[in-house]
Amino acid sequence: MFAYVIVSVLLPRFELVVASGDRKALLGEPAALAPEPGKEQKIGEVSLAAEAFGVRRGMRLGEALARCPRLALLPPDPLGVADAWDAALERLEGIGAAVEPQRPGLACFDARGLLRLHGGRVEGVLDAARAAIGASVRLGAGPTRFVAIAAASRARARRPEIVREASALAGEPVGLLALREETAVLAEPLERLGIATLGELAAVPRAALADRFGPAGLLAADLVAGSDTPLRPRPASERLEETLEPPESRSGEQLERALEILIDRLLARRERRGRTLRAVALSATLVEGGTWRERIVFREALADRARMRLALGGHLLKLPAPAEALRLGAERFGPPHATGRALFDDGLAQRRARLREAVRQARAAAGPDAALRVLEVDPGSRIPERRAVLTPFEG
Amino acid sequence: MSGPKRLGTPRLARVRASDDGRPLAVDGREVEAVRESWLVEDRWWTDAPLRRRYWEIVTTCGRDVVVFRDLEGAGWFTHR
Repeated sequence: MFAYVIVSVLLPRFELVVASGDRKALLGEPAALAPEPGKEQKIGEVSLAAEAFGVRRGMRLGEALARCPRLALLPPDPLGVADAWDAALERLEGIGAAVEPQRPGLACFDARGLLRLHGGRVEGVLDAARAAIGASVRLGAGPTRFVAIAAASRARARRPEIVREASALAGEPVGLLALREETAVLAEPLERLGIATLGELAAVPRAALADRFGPAGLLAADLVAGSDTPLRPRPASERLEETLEPPESRSGEQLERALEILIDRLLARRERRGRTLRAVALSATLVEGGTWRERIVFREALADRARMRLALGGHLLKLPAPAEALRLGAERFGPPHATGRALFDDGLAQRRARLREAVRQARAAAGPDAALRVLEVDPGSRIPERRAVLTPFEG
Repeated sequence: MSGPKRLGTPRLARVRASDDGRPLAVDGREVEAVRESWLVEDRWWTDAPLRRRYWEIVTTCGRDVVVFRDLEGAGWFTHR
């Protein structure tokens, strides 16, 4: 048994499968996700049959159609993808896994805490994950996140792949680096330099990789050497959302009014328990088919209706088509708010008073050195230790 | 805290250097490149003059480090 057991869950072509809905037969034909409205004209995920024509994800629409004139384009469904992915993650959390989502269709979790729940062996955990997600899932296990994802990418539908150490991937192509966002840019230049496999990459000195590729090169060296950053599982999710189907007009002022109602309803929900909102997701089902979704992170966690309307109103203008239904969901919560501070009545005196109180409490808890100030004495000095001193903070 | 405390006071560093004083390894990390070197002389008119040879180097793990050799006393230091 190895020290770390990271399990990777891969649902191939997840976004395409969700967007195809009931028309699963399309997946056997050359098909791709159409470019998102208002964004760059690049196609999304492609079917296996389309790959056979040389069509790749991220390719320009014109080039894709030139390579495969009978390519079927499916309207993207970001809302459906978000819902289906969230449901899949919840099912994984149902078996006790603390899941770190990588992107829709790919997630990892540390299986060590689950071994005793599922028979004491990794295989038991993998079986439980398959039972939770479904038979089409590809499962991989390894000592690090990168190794586990690489294992999942070469696993078959009913046969999970367990890779005991990073060196076992030596024969795999460097294209696997594309599975990680930070190292995705390295795959192509490495191939051009004649480094085709992860084993060849592991033989390149770290300094050379750092010199040529910077931090991404160092990360790639770590990954092939079997070291990776720790997993950061998502916090346990809490579904809090409101949906409205505007009866008549689906754009313009009526949509703004619908948004106001959604904000009011969301803030009125009991489950919010006085907490502020840090990030929300605004999504819509479009009249022409397909969906639209935008995640909005507020500059400051808030629970003020007027400020939320200001922050979200502008995003309605990005709707690519009239909406049939509008949905607003809380993505992340901020700290509870006692008084619901407004935007402009926050004077300097109040801020100073709050700061004084915070300093007083910090000192009461951790002693007089808990709050210090950096005082610049001679900022231009050639001797670094003469530039600044730490002095007690005087509120 | 009794009074103001200086920030960035020198700390001892483990440095292996060549015969001409050029750092070869800092705190166990091999030096990849020397970016810059400069001499600081100060308080030469007092009984406690200050003479330091500073080196800004990049280690093989990509870290940029500034170390200096105390030319009056002895030893290598860093400000971190």
